[in-house]
Amino acid sequence: MIENGIVDITPGLVAIGAGLAVGLAGIGSGMAEKDIGAAAVGAITEDMSLFGKALMFTVLPETIVIFGLVISILCIFVM
Amino acid sequence: MSLPESMSRIVIVGAKSHIDDAIQVIYDVGSIHLIDHTVGADEGFSLGTSRPYSPKASERLLKVRAMEKGLGITPKVKSNPIPEAEIKSQISSDSVETVEAEVNAVFDRRNDLNQRITELSATKRNLEILSRLPIDLEMYSGYRSIFSMVGTVADDPSTDLVNADVEVFSSFDKKEGNVIAVFARNEVRDKVQSILAEHGFSEIVVPEGITGSPSAALTAIAREEEAATSELDSIGKHIESLMVKYTDFLEASDEELSIEVEKGELPLRIANSEYTFVIDAWVPESKAGFVKNELETKVESVYVEVQETRGRSLDGVDDIEKRFREPPTKMNNGVVAKEFEYPTKLVSVPKYQEIDPSILIAIFFPLFFGFMVGDVGYAIPFIILGAYGLKVTHHKDWRAIATVFFFGGIWAFIFGFFFFGECLGMHFVGIPTDGVTHTWEQLLGLNHEAIAGFFSFLPEGHGVSKIGAEWIGFLMKLTVYIGVVHLALGYICAIYNKTIQHGFKHAFMEKGGWLLAFLGIVFMCYGLANYLIFWLESGLMTVDLVCIILGIVLIIVGTVLNRHEGAQAILELPGIIGNVLSYARLAAIGMSKAGMALAFNYIAIDMFGGYVWDATAGTGSFEGSIVGLVFCLIMIAFGHLMIWTLAIISAGLHGLRLQYVEFMAKFFDGGGIEFEPLAIKRKKTVSTNA
Repeated sequence: MIENGIVDITPGLVAIGAGLAVGLAGIGSGMAEKDIGAAAVGAITEDMSLFGKALMFTVLPETIVIFGLVISILCIFVM
Repeated sequence: MSLPESMSRIVIVGAKSHIDDAIQVIYDVGSIHLIDHTVGADEGFSLGTSRPYSPKASERLLKVRAMEKGLGITPKVKSNPIPEAEIKSQISSDSVETVEAEVNAVFDRRNDLNQRITELSATKRNLEILSRLPIDLEMYSGYRSIFSMVGTVADDPSTDLVNADVEVFSSFDKKEGNVIAVFARNEVRDKVQSILAEHGFSEIVVPEGITGSPSAALTAIAREEEAATSELDSIGKHIESLMVKYTDFLEASDEELSIEVEKGELPLRIANSEYTFVIDAWVPESKAGFVKNELETKVESVYVEVQETRGRSLDGVDDIEKRFREPPTKMNNGVVAKEFEYPTKLVSVPKYQEIDPSILIAIFFPLFFGFMVGDVGYAIPFIILGAYGLKVTHHKDWRAIATVFFFGGIWAFIFGFFFFGECLGMHFVGIPTDGVTHTWEQLLGLNHEAIAGFFSFLPEGHGVSKIGAEWIGFLMKLTVYIGVVHLALGYICAIYNKTIQHGFKHAFMEKGGWLLAFLGIVFMCYGLANYLIFWLESGLMTVDLVCIILGIVLIIVGTVLNRHEGAQAILELPGIIGNVLSYARLAAIGMSKAGMALAFNYIAIDMFGGYVWDATAGTGSFEGSIVGLVFCLIMIAFGHLMIWTLAIISAGLHGLRLQYVEFMAKFFDGGGIEFEPLAIKRKKTVSTNA
């Protein structure tokens, strides 16, 4: 988008922002989930009846990345 | 609302002389949940002793289990059920002992052979080493004034041994190790030993009772070992044949004896006096009359009294004797909702005094699953697989999965057909112009007017016009509203639970605050979001302002009501926003699946298939080579199979998570005792009573 020799970088910045929102949120939930996942597998090996609870704890941090996604969608479609 | 089945507490009193009949009827009725007797709870009563037939049955059961273990019979091994009467008569005619004698004889022989083979191979190893020295085996012993030592060394000790007046035979080899045999006078034994020890000597035991050269002995031993091994093989085959021969009998007698032991040990759990027995038990209220009638008519000198039918209130529950305090939970669900008890139990068994969430999971879980999948092409395999699974499988894990497939698949079809208008990631109608997306209408060359008319019910128009900011914004809003409804239901359930436990006033004071705070947050966020996103330029609308103010008021009232929770009342407020936004995953996962499908379709149709669309003529054709078209088909099959599999994981897991984390956490306590009636389940035997 070049107008009178001036480049409008706004769409690009919005795209970078959207990407960062999802990417960083993904890293965050990944870091949270790795510890929980390891502990959950350990617990399940001890006692299979904990499966439901373990599953619940494991997917708990996934909300973080959903927030990131919401923000990035807002960035791209609403801004 | 579905509460667990109402329970009555009964007392069964009878004469000890008829206890066996009573036990039989109790097991036949199959709806009596025993309350274990506590020692010292009632004066004059103590725990009973097991029935006379029980110890013998236990002993036999132990034998049967040992044989099963030895023969490698696990419960998973298929067997033909044996009629109950037949297996009973076989057991009472000492068949277990006969079979045990036969099986144990084989096991003993196998153990002997195994031991013999171990011994032989040890001897063989020693002989192999000894055979490297030119000494016959009998030469190593039988001396009066000299002794011999033979073994392996790390390095050559002969220079040190020169002064010790010994005779040394040795064979040194870098690969096979160093062997040395030393003959010396008894007086220098200590000296020789210490010199050898310095060189890493490790003694070899010369086999006794064998004479001649070691290599000759080696051949003899090898022959013997071979014979033993071949006999072991034939014994292995014999054991296999025994397994085939006795699998039916052992599995059936295992089951029959387990039942006998369980029945025989029932008196250990109930109160006994010298001549009577007393059983406290829970039965479903609906069955109480039947149980009373059945026991009193079928068993002599037994009396059954219904003590109480327990309500749901928890007020004054602490005054009740501990063993009678908590009635067991028998979930009370219809045919469909019953299949969803499994996900509830994965978390916990509901308490007797709370809503069993199975029915709510049965409604919302497939709905969410279907919304996330939302594609006719993926829905149909789900429905077929689910229906097939429900028909053939009885394993509870597989049944749970099949249930989700079936009902989730139906919702996926409904959403895919009537809402998203999509099949395999391609919309039904519309002519795309971007060169990336495709529609079925375009690919199949269908009549635009007619098909567009047919699908005019689809929201937001149809086909390609859906891919845009408007549609995605709409989806996001829709999912958040779904979340609001779902969560509000959760809060209402919480109030309902507390109402049946402690009355409405208590419930409102304890949980009402959360509902108000939740509604407040919803209103405030609605107003704020509208203002921030859409009307920042045009100024604040009255509606939004009213929403914001109403929201803030509700939050304050709710937080005041919640003051009994302390700091939590304030700290949890942002969590509510998180909970609502969490439902955006319904749209997000649906979109990610559509995105993947779009990519695979583009790769297959445009890149491999070489699809060209002639906009003026309104026709399209595949221009790719034959190889390209083959790849196109492979790519479509592979890509969509992958998305379909991922759909199970992502949609299934996230659908379940919304139930567990967002929804059930609002009201579900769990920790109930599951209703486990005394009953007999026969798998390996066939009941002859019925």
